[in-house]
Amino acid sequence: MKIQILEKNDISMRLLIEGTNAPLMNTLRRIILSEVPTMAVDDVVILENSSALQDEFLAHRIGLVPLKTDLDTYNLPENCECKSEFGCNLCRVSLVLDVEAEDHTIVVRSSDFKSENPTVIPVSNEISLVKLAPEQKIRLEAYARLGKGKDHARWQSVSMCTYKYKPIISVNTELCNSCGECVEACSRNIITKTGKKIEIRNLENCTLCQDCVKACQETPKAVKSSWDETSFIFAIESTGALTSERILREALNILDGKLVEFLKQLPVKKT
Amino acid sequence: MKVRVLNMTKNELKIEIEGEGHTFCNVIQKALIKDKRVEIAGYDIPHPLTSSPLIYIRTKGQSKPTKVLDDATKAVHKDSKTFRAAFSKALKEWNKKRQS
Ligand SMILES: [Zn+2]
Repeated sequence: MKIQILEKNDISMRLLIEGTNAPLMNTLRRIILSEVPTMAVDDVVILENSSALQDEFLAHRIGLVPLKTDLDTYNLPENCECKSEFGCNLCRVSLVLDVEAEDHTIVVRSSDFKSENPTVIPVSNEISLVKLAPEQKIRLEAYARLGKGKDHARWQSVSMCTYKYKPIISVNTELCNSCGECVEACSRNIITKTGKKIEIRNLENCTLCQDCVKACQETPKAVKSSWDETSFIFAIESTGALTSERILREALNILDGKLVEFLKQLPVKKT
Repeated sequence: MKVRVLNMTKNELKIEIEGEGHTFCNVIQKALIKDKRVEIAGYDIPHPLTSSPLIYIRTKGQSKPTKVLDDATKAVHKDSKTFRAAFSKALKEWNKKRQS
């Protein structure tokens, strides 16, 4: 197996993985989407809300704000030693929102949250929650906990996680008359024409749309499009709660955890 | 995760895995059918909301289904270890490229 990083920053990452199989890619994708834990508000105590939005609506919007997650410090509520429904310092973070519009209309944003732990804060300061007209007021306490994407979308660690086969586009030079139709047809600018020569570049951007094949006037077609079933382009786009690298590492840890647990329960005795 | 045996004979094994779904079963099943000792291997989730997945294995000749399942799980584990190593290597290369 060979991995090459095509693109990487804290939020997104694209990998070219060669010499692997689709089931492994799919398992990692599914774990990333539904089992990598992140922090999100799941309990809101509203003390005062005179805004135009009713309490439930406001609570829902607050729940969907992604929070920067510290996985090394916090526990999932079900794994926490406190065993309490309310939670303790190791499985719950409280965020307070106390805003009042005095004489102008204001927009309440995620930056107005005051967190008890300065490392657990909204990923962006610009997420607008609600508008307040003069003299309207919001006072509430929100409790964030770790959770998994399979329980609710607010705990999903990624906004996008996909994989696709590595595309293969080939041009048969004997059949090609360099008409350039395929160059015109390609919306991703993968096929280029330099002089009389048709060249392929940045192949990882190809979506295998087959437009180049359809555009080719020759019979048989000079352009061929296929894919490599052992190579994949794997893309992750984090919500910002965790870094893209950490998400992939967590997914691998979760997969290994499952496999070790399964092996431990095997060979099974007849019940 | 909780594994329960529903049926076990010389060549057959049917287990139920409580608390798992397609994520885990699919990768195991695909590893099982790569094994030459396996005649049939499949998994099923009878109801998407209320049931646990079932894995069914039937082996050829003298091969024990528990052994085959054990090997398939280890193969997936090996795959994930290879992935981890390859990813660490790729990260090193990426960081080196970034610095220069
Ligand atoms: Zn606790």
